[in-house]
Amino acid sequence: MPEVMSSEVVVIGGGVIGAAVAYYLSREGAEVMIVEEDDLAAGASGACDGFISLQTKTPGPHLRLAMESAQLFPALAEDLEVDIEYRRCGGLLLATSQDQMKELRARAKALKAEGLEVEVLTVSDLKELLPEVGKEVKGGSYCPLDAQVNPISLTLGLAQKAQEMGATIIRGCKVENIVVTNNRVREVHTTVGNIHSRRVVCAAGVGSNQIGKMIIVDVPVLPQRGQILVTESREPVLKILVAGAEYLGTKANIQALMPADVEAAKLGLGFTAEQTAAGNLLLGSTREFVGFDNQTTPEAMNAIARNALRYLPWVEDMDVIRSFAGLRPCSPDGLPILGTIKGVRGFFLATGHSGDGICLAPITGKMISELVLDGETSLDITPFSLYRFK
Amino acid sequence: MSPDIPGEGDLWRSSWEAAVDGAVAVVDCREEIPCNPCEEACPTGAIRVGPDICAAPRFDPQACNGCGRCVALCPGMAVFLLDRREKSGFARVTVPYEMGERPVEGEEVQVVDGEGKALTGGKILKIRALGGGAPTLLVTVRVPESVALKVRGVRYRLMERDGFREVDKLPSLADYPLCRCEDVPLERVRDILRTGLKSLPSLRRASRVGLGYCQGMFCQSSLRQELAEATGREGEEIGSFRVRPPVRPVKLGFLGGGNA
Repeated sequence: MPEVMSSEVVVIGGGVIGAAVAYYLSREGAEVMIVEEDDLAAGASGACDGFISLQTKTPGPHLRLAMESAQLFPALAEDLEVDIEYRRCGGLLLATSQDQMKELRARAKALKAEGLEVEVLTVSDLKELLPEVGKEVKGGSYCPLDAQVNPISLTLGLAQKAQEMGATIIRGCKVENIVVTNNRVREVHTTVGNIHSRRVVCAAGVGSNQIGKMIIVDVPVLPQRGQILVTESREPVLKILVAGAEYLGTKANIQALMPADVEAAKLGLGFTAEQTAAGNLLLGSTREFVGFDNQTTPEAMNAIARNALRYLPWVEDMDVIRSFAGLRPCSPDGLPILGTIKGVRGFFLATGHSGDGICLAPITGKMISELVLDGETSLDITPFSLYRFK
Repeated sequence: MSPDIPGEGDLWRSSWEAAVDGAVAVVDCREEIPCNPCEEACPTGAIRVGPDICAAPRFDPQACNGCGRCVALCPGMAVFLLDRREKSGFARVTVPYEMGERPVEGEEVQVVDGEGKALTGGKILKIRALGGGAPTLLVTVRVPESVALKVRGVRYRLMERDGFREVDKLPSLADYPLCRCEDVPLERVRDILRTGLKSLPSLRRASRVGLGYCQGMFCQSSLRQELAEATGREGEEIGSFRVRPPVRPVKLGFLGGGNA
């Protein structure tokens, strides 16, 4: 590899966001280089479930972004060489108390007002979608547009397609410095050499804070650990995505939907379940701030299993074959951080997706591509600016 | 007739005696290896390995109901069933059978000992599968009591009846699964290596090798070898990937019981 390289755009990070940005940029004919410290999908994108959940998004710009993103998936599934196992399967959000039910009803109303199809269901309505639910379940809300995807295939598929269209992917390449002169990005220094570039996209996930420091900008992204259990593979037994209301509570910080149990609240426990195309059930998940520790813990595994039995008692006889943990790049309000930086031209942020990275990857890639190449976006992304925190 | 018990008289005497009332397990496990599926398989607690997983199993014939689950599940094929109800000088022995050609009830087969040597001929009385996706069949044969404790298998081959069969074209090595749990062929792994993935965990993520039941306990070394060959690196440089808990499969009900 030559000591000094150059690229029209350098994308820092080979996760789903970096790959999506590179894909959409390459599609527009831009010269792109992805630099990845470890390997593609080595971070959060390779250690998460495949929820494309719309009804768990906050009404307003966040929901609109997710709805736009969801619409891009079918075309992506067509365009990518890799089978991304995309399926519009619908999703359920279950309530275990009347208070939660009340909250879900109110939310369904708000979501419907924004044009999202959501239905409030009683326990007997649920029976058609789910054969058996726990006795505690009081009902739920159903969104037919919720979908699932294989996050690793999606990341690898986007990167591979970008590469076919001309993008360069450099693995095992750590960014050490970003040179800014006259308020403009000029060069990216990495462990494998220097790259001349006037445009840099930071899609570094939990590493974004570190990257931000290089241009003296505080990007408030913290690693938030999420743990998931994987069961043995079975014939299709769960056709839709299922989550508990508490998942939404811990995700969107909604007080009325927080877990009542102290230990569960401490773990940020919320129930999620999906069956992958390979047949395994992925059961989640937790939300913990423990720095960069991505180990699973016995306490969380017990808690996730206990919680899963509350909602879907029939999983009792299934074998858990492994567990994994990933670090979500979490922003203070749980919404992504997208856009430019004041005072440093040519630097773009596409990070802080806080567990929505898979769902929001296509729209993020598209918006950042537009922003990098045209300087403006077809959708208003100012609500996701870094400066909302100041 | 007194049993012909090769050097293990006392170990099997209780099973031998209990077998006059019906089928009972005979545990022929001498290896002190980390293994306990027999204990998990037994619905009545007749077989116990205990907390030291390397200990040899202890067996209580009084508690055994002759269900045969241990016979089907023992990976070492070290358990069989003995039934001396007939009291006519003949016993019924049930052994595991995992060969491709399914035997037929009522046919005569060759009965063999642990070294594969033919003992005698015997008639197949019953063939059953325990279900649950387990491919092991339980074959019950009627043999003279004098050899009953030596029986470890039956030989049932088409070639003995119809002469030799020519084998069709052998599949190429590349089509064989490198990872059996996830059924990933070697060729798929090589395809992925050609895309330039460099680390073992990435190769696992992209190929799913090592993400199944065994978590790489069986396939990780093959995967490392492929990676070493593709990248020209040494094994130590490549390292290994972590096995994520639980190290072996555990029921969700147990994990959620709060005491796992």
